[in-house]
Amino acid sequence: MLVAHVRGHGVLREADKGEKTSWFWRLDPRAKIAGIFAFVVVTALLTTPEAVVLALASAIVLSAASGVHAKRLIIAYATAFPFIALASISIFLFSGTERGMTMLARTSSCVMPLLVLALGTDTFDLFTGLRRLKVPGMITTLLMLTFRFLLLLSDEYERMKLSRRARGFRGGRSILDKYGFRVLSSTAGMVLVRASARADRVYEGLKCKAFRKDMIPWKISSLRPVDLVFLLTLAIVATTLAIAQCGVLT
Amino acid sequence: MSALELRGVTYKYDDGTLALKDFSLLVERSEKVAIVGPNGAGKSTLLNLLAGFRMPFSGKVLIEGRELTEENADELRREVGLVFQDPDDQIFMPTVEEDVAFGPRNLGLDDIEGRVKLALRSAGIESLAKRRPHRLSHGMKKRVAIAGILAMDPKTLLLDEPTSGLDPRARAELIKLLKGMDKTMLIATHDLEAAAEMVDRVVVLNVSVVTQGTMREVVMSREVLRDAGLELPTVSKLFDMVSGMGYPVESLPVSMDQAVSEFTRVIEREAKLMGEKRGRKNRGKQRSPDGD
Amino acid sequence: MHVPDGLMDPLVALVGLLEFLAFISIASYIGSKKLQDKQLPRVALLCAGIFVAQMLNFPIGGGTTGHLIGGALFAILAGPALAVVGMTVVLIIQALMFGDGGITAFGLNALNMAVVAPLTGWGTYTLLVPLLGRTGMAGKNLAIGAAAWASVFVAAAACAAELAVSYAISGGTYGIAATVSIPAMLGYHAIIGIGEALITAGVIAYLWSTSEESIFSKTESRQTGTLFERITSSSTLNATLAVMVIFALALPLYFLYSSEGMDGLEKTMDDAGTQEGDALLSSPFGYGESYFAAIFAGMAGFVSVTLVALGLLRIVSSTKNRE
Repeated sequence: MLVAHVRGHGVLREADKGEKTSWFWRLDPRAKIAGIFAFVVVTALLTTPEAVVLALASAIVLSAASGVHAKRLIIAYATAFPFIALASISIFLFSGTERGMTMLARTSSCVMPLLVLALGTDTFDLFTGLRRLKVPGMITTLLMLTFRFLLLLSDEYERMKLSRRARGFRGGRSILDKYGFRVLSSTAGMVLVRASARADRVYEGLKCKAFRKDMIPWKISSLRPVDLVFLLTLAIVATTLAIAQCGVLT
Repeated sequence: MSALELRGVTYKYDDGTLALKDFSLLVERSEKVAIVGPNGAGKSTLLNLLAGFRMPFSGKVLIEGRELTEENADELRREVGLVFQDPDDQIFMPTVEEDVAFGPRNLGLDDIEGRVKLALRSAGIESLAKRRPHRLSHGMKKRVAIAGILAMDPKTLLLDEPTSGLDPRARAELIKLLKGMDKTMLIATHDLEAAAEMVDRVVVLNVSVVTQGTMREVVMSREVLRDAGLELPTVSKLFDMVSGMGYPVESLPVSMDQAVSEFTRVIEREAKLMGEKRGRKNRGKQRSPDGD
Repeated sequence: MHVPDGLMDPLVALVGLLEFLAFISIASYIGSKKLQDKQLPRVALLCAGIFVAQMLNFPIGGGTTGHLIGGALFAILAGPALAVVGMTVVLIIQALMFGDGGITAFGLNALNMAVVAPLTGWGTYTLLVPLLGRTGMAGKNLAIGAAAWASVFVAAAACAAELAVSYAISGGTYGIAATVSIPAMLGYHAIIGIGEALITAGVIAYLWSTSEESIFSKTESRQTGTLFERITSSSTLNATLAVMVIFALALPLYFLYSSEGMDGLEKTMDDAGTQEGDALLSSPFGYGESYFAAIFAGMAGFVSVTLVALGLLRIVSSTKNRE
C-alpha cells in the first residue's frame, strides 16, 4: 500500500492542474510549514473533548479548503491509522469511552494537517522552506539528494520486481521462507550496487555544475499578503484552541 | 593559445587496466574534433580526465594554457563543460529552468535569468522551461543537460556520446544544433555518421591514437577502421560499393552533403563522357555518310 | 514504529526531543568530518535505499506483513555517526512527504529509529566481531543478524517504554497502557526482527561479496591479537559505550515518571474519577512497574540475543575446527 502511496505522490507525476492552481499550493512553503507545525503542536497538547472537537473541525476545514485530492488524503490517512487505532482502542479499554474518542480525535487532528502539507506542497519547496527556516545545510542537502535518488531507486526496484516476476518468483509465503528472503536480499543488494555507481556519476554531474554544498533554487519567493493571512488565521485558530483547553480547567 | 592540449597522457584504472596510453592532442579555439573508437577505447575516460575527474594521470593537460592539477581541477572545470552520456545523471532540480540556472547560480554569475533564457533558446527548448525534467523524453533531457552546461558559458564543450539513445528525428535535430554552435567542441562518439556531419577533424582512439585527420582521410583507411571496430558511415559504404562496380569515385564522402555533391559530380562526369562519346560517333557518321 | 502526533505525553515528547537533539548534534559533528564531498552521494543513496527498504512489505505469516527499519544496516555499512544522521534524514522525508510520523513526536521517533536502532545494531555487531574467530562468513552473518534483531527489539522496547510512561504520567490521557503496549510492541517486533535480521544479513553479505567498494569500504574487523586485545580495542569500547548510552537514555524518562508520575496520576485520577468509572479493563500492573517492565524487556532482549549469537558462534566455530 505504501508503494501505491509513493507512486501516487505528486512528485512522480505532473501535479494535477487543480492542485497546481490551488491557493494552498502556491503559498510560501515557510508560511505553510510554520503555520501547520504551530497548529499541530498546539493540538497535540489538547486534552479536553471540547477543544479536541474544535481542533478536528479546523483540521477538516483546512483539508477541504486546501484543494488536496480527497482520495489521496484518505489513502495517506489509512497508512497512519493502525497506530492511531491501537492507541485509541487501548485508551478506550482502560480509561473509558470519552478518553478513547478524545485520543482518536486528537491524533487525527494532528495527522490530517501534516498530510495536507505533504500532499499540497512541492517536495522540493518543502526542503528549501526548511533550509530557509535555518535547518542545517548538511541535513537539507542530504534531503534533496536523497529525494533525487528516491526516484532513481524506485524505478530500479520496480524493474527488479518485474524481472523477478517474469522469472516466476511469487514472493515468500512466510517469514520462514528462506528462499524468498534470499531473493529479496539480493534484489535489495543489487539495486544498491547498481545505484552506487550511478550515485558517483550524479556527484560528478553536480561538480560539473560547480556544486559546493547547498542545493537551493535560484528563484526564491518572499512572503506575500496571502501567506501572512494564512499564518494569522492559523494563529487565531491555535489561540482559540488554547483558550478552549485552559478555559475548561480553570 | 589553444583551447585544449594533451601531451603524452597515460591513465590507468584502480585495478591496473590501461585506459589511455601516451595520448596527445591539440584542439584550437572554435575547432570541432571527434574522438571515435569502439566501446572501451577510452573516449569517455578522456573526457572525464579533461574535466578533472580521473586523477592521477601521467603526462600533461593544458586547458586554456593552464596545466590541470588536482588542486585546480574544480576551478578549471569551469572552462570545460562536460555533457554526460546519460542526462539523468546531470539533471537535479525539479523544473527545467531551475536546473539550467543551477550552474550559473553555483558560480555566482550575474543576470542568471538572461543566461537561462539564452541557454534554453540555444538548445531550442524555451517552451519546456516550467516542465519537470524527469517527465521529458530522452532527447529533450539531453537538450536540458546541454542547456544547463551552456548557461555556464564554458569555453569548450565536451560531449560524451551525444547521439546515443536518440530516435532518428531527435538525432538529426541535435546534430543540427551542435553543428550550428560556434564553440570549441570535443565529441566522443562511435556514431561516425553524426561525427561526419559535425566536426572538422577526427581522432581514432583505441587506448592510444590509431590515426587522425579529416573525416574523409580517416574513412579511406578502411582496414584501420575495421581494426578499431568501427563501421564506415552508410553513405561511404554506398560509394565504396559504387566504386567497386567500376564507377570512378575520387574519395569516399562521409556525409549526405558530400554524398550529394560527389553523386552530382559523378553523374555530370558520366553525362559529359556520354555526351562526348555520342558527339564523336555523330562526327564519325557525318565524315563518311556512304561508308568510305 | 512511526508514532503520530497527539499520542505521546507532551513531556515525554519533549524529553525525547532533547535527547535526540543531543545525539544528532554529536553525530552531525562527527559525520561532517567523515562526510567529505565524495561520501555525500553514497550516504544519500543509502538513505534512499533505506527509505525504499522501509516500504518493502515482507510476509510474517497469517496474512500479516512487517516492515524493515534498516538502522543496523545503515550503521554496519556507514558507521554509527553517519547512520544517525542518515536515518534522521529518512524520517524527515517520511514525515514531510507522507505525513508518516508526527512533528511533536519526531524527537521520539528519531530517538527510537535514528538513535537507538542504529546504535544498538552497530554496538551489538561490533561487540560480537572480536569473538567471531574463524567462523568465516557464517559467523559474520550471525553477528549481523543478531545485531539487526537487537536493533529492532530494543527500539521497540524504547517505544513501548515511552508509550507506557506517557500513559502513566498523563493519567490515561496519552500513551498506551502497559498491558497493551509492551506485549504488542515487543511481541510484534520480536517477529519483525527476524525478518530484519535475515534481510540485513543477506544484503550486507551480497554487498561485501560483490564489491569491496560497493557502498562503503568494508571495515576491517580486528581478527589479530589475543582475545583480550580484541575485546579491549577501541571500537569495541566504543560499542560498549554506545549500548550503555542507549540504556542510559531511559534514565531521564525514569526521573520524569518518578517526579511527575505519582502526583500527576493522583491528581488526574481525582479529576477524572467519573471517567475512569466506565473503563472496561483495569491494568494489573502498577504504573511504575509497567515502565520498568519495558526497559527490562529491552535489556533482556538485547542480552539474550547476544548470548544466543555467541552460543551459535561457538557451535559454528567448533564445527569448523573439527573439519
